[in-house]
Amino acid sequence: MTTQTLYKSYIIEEYELSEEPFYVPVSDEIELFEAAYREKLPLIFKGPTGCGKTRFVEYMSYRLGKALKEKTGKSSASGAVNLPLVTIACHEDLTSSDLVGRYLLEGDQTVWIDGPLTRAVKAGGICYLDEVVEARKDTTVLIHPLTDHRRMLPIEKRGELLEAADGFLLVLSYNPGYQSALKDLKHSTRQRFVSIEFDYPPLEIEANIIEHESGVEEQIAIQLAKLGQKVRNLKEHGLGEGASTRLLIYAGKLITSGISPRRACQVSVNWGITDDHSLQQGITEIIESIFE
Amino acid sequence: MPSDSFENKINELKEFPELVEKNYHIALSSMPDALSDKQLNDWFSNGLTIAKQDVRSWEASSRFFEVSPAVLKSMPYSYFEKWMECGLKLSTESPTLAGAYFEASPGTMNKLRSRHIESWALTGSKLHKGTWKSSTLACKFFTLSPVLLESLSFQQLEKFSEFLDALSIRSYDLASECLNFGQDIFPLLGEDKDSFLSLATALVETGWREIKSFFDSGAKALPRIAASERIRFLQLAESLVVNGASNIPGIMLDISQSLSELNEEKHTAVLGLSESLLTHDPMAMPDFIKSSVFVLNKLTINQFYKWYEEGVSILKQNRDAGLAFFKVESTHSEETIEILSSGIEFERIKTVMEMYCRGLAGAEIKLSIIDSLIEKNIGWVSAESATTEGSTVFVPSVVDKYSTKNENYNWFKVVSTHQVAHLEFGSFSFNFHRKSKAFEDLRTLLEDQRNQSLKDRNNENLENISKEIEGDSVHSIEKTWLTDMQRFFNLFDDRKLSLDIFTIVEDARLDARVQIEYPGIKTSYIQVQRDSCEDRPDIKELPAKEALIEFMLRLSLQQYEDISIPIKYKNEIKQIVQIIKQICGSDSIVEDAAEAAIRIYAIVSSIPNEAIPEEDWDDIGFDDDEDYVDSEEMEKLLQQMGMGMEMELNPEESEYESMQEVEYRGDFKPELAQLMTELRMQQQDGQGQSNGEPLTQDQLKELLENSAELDLQSMQGEIQESSGMFADNIIKEAGTNMPQSPENSQGSYVHVDEDGGELQSSEPQTFVYDEWDFRADDYKPRWCVVKQKMMPEGDQSYFNSILNEYSTLVTRIRRQFEMMVPEMFRKERKLSDGEDIDIDDVIENMIDIKAGSSPDEKFYWRRNKVQRDVAVAFLLDTSASTAEAIDEGKGKQDEWDAPEDPVEYMVWLRTRRGQQIKRSYKRIIDVEKESMVLLINALEAIGDVYGIYGFSGYGRENVEYYTIKDLQENFSEKVKKRIDRIAPLHATRMGPAIRHTAHKLDMVDAKTKILFLISDGRPQDRGYSREGVEKEYAVHDTKKALDEAKKLGINSFCLTVDKNGHDYLKTMTSDMGYEILDDINDLPERLLVLYRRLTM
Repeated sequence: MTTQTLYKSYIIEEYELSEEPFYVPVSDEIELFEAAYREKLPLIFKGPTGCGKTRFVEYMSYRLGKALKEKTGKSSASGAVNLPLVTIACHEDLTSSDLVGRYLLEGDQTVWIDGPLTRAVKAGGICYLDEVVEARKDTTVLIHPLTDHRRMLPIEKRGELLEAADGFLLVLSYNPGYQSALKDLKHSTRQRFVSIEFDYPPLEIEANIIEHESGVEEQIAIQLAKLGQKVRNLKEHGLGEGASTRLLIYAGKLITSGISPRRACQVSVNWGITDDHSLQQGITEIIESIFE
Repeated sequence: MPSDSFENKINELKEFPELVEKNYHIALSSMPDALSDKQLNDWFSNGLTIAKQDVRSWEASSRFFEVSPAVLKSMPYSYFEKWMECGLKLSTESPTLAGAYFEASPGTMNKLRSRHIESWALTGSKLHKGTWKSSTLACKFFTLSPVLLESLSFQQLEKFSEFLDALSIRSYDLASECLNFGQDIFPLLGEDKDSFLSLATALVETGWREIKSFFDSGAKALPRIAASERIRFLQLAESLVVNGASNIPGIMLDISQSLSELNEEKHTAVLGLSESLLTHDPMAMPDFIKSSVFVLNKLTINQFYKWYEEGVSILKQNRDAGLAFFKVESTHSEETIEILSSGIEFERIKTVMEMYCRGLAGAEIKLSIIDSLIEKNIGWVSAESATTEGSTVFVPSVVDKYSTKNENYNWFKVVSTHQVAHLEFGSFSFNFHRKSKAFEDLRTLLEDQRNQSLKDRNNENLENISKEIEGDSVHSIEKTWLTDMQRFFNLFDDRKLSLDIFTIVEDARLDARVQIEYPGIKTSYIQVQRDSCEDRPDIKELPAKEALIEFMLRLSLQQYEDISIPIKYKNEIKQIVQIIKQICGSDSIVEDAAEAAIRIYAIVSSIPNEAIPEEDWDDIGFDDDEDYVDSEEMEKLLQQMGMGMEMELNPEESEYESMQEVEYRGDFKPELAQLMTELRMQQQDGQGQSNGEPLTQDQLKELLENSAELDLQSMQGEIQESSGMFADNIIKEAGTNMPQSPENSQGSYVHVDEDGGELQSSEPQTFVYDEWDFRADDYKPRWCVVKQKMMPEGDQSYFNSILNEYSTLVTRIRRQFEMMVPEMFRKERKLSDGEDIDIDDVIENMIDIKAGSSPDEKFYWRRNKVQRDVAVAFLLDTSASTAEAIDEGKGKQDEWDAPEDPVEYMVWLRTRRGQQIKRSYKRIIDVEKESMVLLINALEAIGDVYGIYGFSGYGRENVEYYTIKDLQENFSEKVKKRIDRIAPLHATRMGPAIRHTAHKLDMVDAKTKILFLISDGRPQDRGYSREGVEKEYAVHDTKKALDEAKKLGINSFCLTVDKNGHDYLKTMTSDMGYEILDDINDLPERLLVLYRRLTM
């Protein structure tokens, strides 16, 4: 009897991207990232939602991993050397043990299980904390020793001090757009990082991305990118966030699947970003001007 | 010849005053010869008999002789006899009457058929009742008969006299006055005298006192109505009378006024509908006619019928609703109009369109109606065409060009898109030195040439005149422009022509780009372009130069077929076509248009503007796809331009006239718009502007005088003056329209309002607030003074009596509010002590223990009492209108008829207050007070922080703000006493009161802050608007105040009892909550329910 695996599962340390993620650099972010990685400086990505922060981390982890393999040459076949990417989505209830690890009962025994952060530190991968402002303040403090020259992770419950492996890099992302006074990064945290600002890419690049990701024709991709720009112009008028590249790609995908462009934009872009009626109408007018 | 006895009889005449005999002799000599002696004798005897009636009757007799010949001329003798007979009869009744009869006879007989003589005399005599007054009336009737008969038939005259007779029973004076009016009014009436008379007669029955004003208003009203419809108008009025309406004359005047504002063709329709409305409800008719002006402005006749039908069906269901419908005072009526109307009103789509434009342009564009630009008086004068001055897009207030809403909307969108395109694709960011993409740059070259030739000429001049001022004049060809656009237009001799060409080229470029960039709007765009083509003048009628311009324009509207061109200029036209094609690319910039304009100008300006004979025209096809390349000829032409020689006008040439503008493209003023933009930039940068010193008034004036965009010549007054005025206004405009940074906003705003300036708070307990002016889109700083006062204390028993009155409700409410308390608990985890252990946390602890590390002992959870942290301020409208009795209060809440003058106002107020003392009914304010009592009772049960305030006021310097219970104050007997004294005061200036309340709430530390506004109508106050009548202003200010409160983290809720509140409350509260109470008596209960819901 053979058991068939119905799902794919990876061990964090071994997970790496098999294909190169599609990423179009907007400015010098690749060089910055590489430099920071060389110098072991942690990074913060700031930028609106859906503008490509996560994709950039994936891309860099692939790129740096590949470079690493090439450097070490022959050992690549064994897969021992790579650059894992550990992504942690932060939320309000994220406690320090969720990050560092905890003891679990196993029969009569207690077993220590490493948290994702610990594993990334050990494996020397990139640890990406998404939307870090969402995490509780006491959790954020935990990463402090990792970010300066010490590069240490204290594991309190085991009384250990873990030194980060060579390849380890901490990357945070946060979206200053919806920050309220309550949800802002503490200065003591912020000042431990190199900040890279992200914004929506310029028209041509965005069109290129949309075209690639959604598979629409070039012409429509340009129009979608144009729509994105126009809608972002309205940001000061009640839109919390402009239309993200991601939403535009969604619209593109719907179009590829045969939904009419106007409708696709309506459901993915327009209704996705606002509930305000007059704003919706305004955006509808823009959509109808751009798409036939 | 007369016989002896006749002689004797003549002698008898001598008994009377001489005049009788004299008149007889004069008459005798002019009596026709055909009369027999007998007849003469009879005639004479009649005269004598009349004379003998009594002492004064000789006068009548003398009159009789005097007029006889004239009367006899207009009738055969047989009727003459009858005439005499009637006269005799009259003289027996009253000689004076007979005198008047005789005197009026010659005039009357001309217009009267002879057979009517008798009835005429009879009619007159009927009016005579033997009294002195009746005799005066009857005499007057005779005297005026000739005049009246000019416009009346005899039957009508009879009817009129019947009317007079009937009226005279009530009042002789009135009847006599009406007789006088009659002479003025009947000529005006035309065919409808009968109905007028019957209406008048009907009025005698119901409202004879109004007769006089009826005649008066009739005289005024009827000429306003289409002649053919007057009769219907009168019939309508009559049926109103029959139905017992009062103040008919007033109504007549009103509705005729309304009708006069309508096209006469529409009178038939309106009056026709009015007639059928009579069968449903006659009382709705006057309002219907009055509204028809407004409605017909928006609707076509057919739509108007539908609106009417809708109204009638409502009227059948609910009379009040129907009446309101026809007054256009109901939302439903307005909605119906809106649905039916094909027109698009700017106000309705402003937000959406503004959003659209901002999206496209990516700048803070405002949308406004054109009139507001013209008011600014900075050079734009055309009220029809859309335009932009660089930061605001101006559009027409109403679009009703097409028959469907959709088409109109599309037109509107095309217009806006085109204007925004000016901003989006940079019409005004023209840079003299930026390279063109489509052409070789000629601008600098041309400028050098021109300067050179100018210098040469100047030098010549100098040599000729004198050399002393050499230095100055060389100076004068240095920098003479303010904007790059101006510098560009300086290249041309004929600025008007160059502006026209540039306009067309630039518009063509924009249209092409819009259609490339926005395929979605292309269909409507092309439709609009095609429609524009249809309105163009016939090209063949234009002289050559203008024809070429017109041709270009058609080309830019994408009309490629059926354009005739002069054969003579075929080559030139071919070039123009190529040039224009060149700029219609997807990435063309304004400099391309400028270069194209230079070339086209070079071609067109060399063509004489003369008429071209019919046979020299031909249609043109455009099939070649050659790209445009500057030819040698072109270079020659350009060189000529560079020389800047003024071209002489041939005698055959007519002066160049600008083309007729294309409606959807509007008014394009690149020079002015660029100027405005630059001025604004300057303002923004402060004094440190990048290039050169700030411009002076004179420079500005020069620009304006030179620019072809201003039609200064056609304006009144000196050119100097008007350009100076524009210059002033432009500087002001650029300065005031600037969004200023918040740091320096204090004190630097300028008031446009002349009514007064800022106010200061000089006394303690007074506070000053800004007010929002929605038309200016800006605050009026320190505009209102809020005077905070403690409500005086009254009787405490009021409070308790209300509690007793509502005792059942009180207990129910209290229970409900007490039930709110348990709902406020929330489960909290990780506590060291609590109701129970949390199993997840315990497991974690167990693991820790097993693993040997110290466990966290906090594993309890508890339903913790979350501190209810609510601060709420109730803001009561205590305006005069709350004094309305609840049952009669309907519909009156909008009236604000207080006099403007403060002194009169006090009198008015006193009388109003006086009336209130006698009241025995319940007023709105009473219900408000009762609600407060119940609310206090309930709120004390849950312990929320609350304050109660009343506001009112008169004018912006006098907003009264009464504290009934302050937020921080504890509930006490004093508060109970104060409630008693809440009373209706003056007006409703909501804005400052809300701001003050928000300010108070802001000072309180609470998680949830609520502002609860309870009012009975829309905000209004003396001067709470620019013109004093416009309600919008007050609504917008209130909205702004509520928005401000929201920014402070205060939730607002409006509760009103004004049933018409939906329209303005929707605007006022936008996304905040509001509720309209159908029945004011629900207020106490509803208020508490809402309160619970809001604070949960």
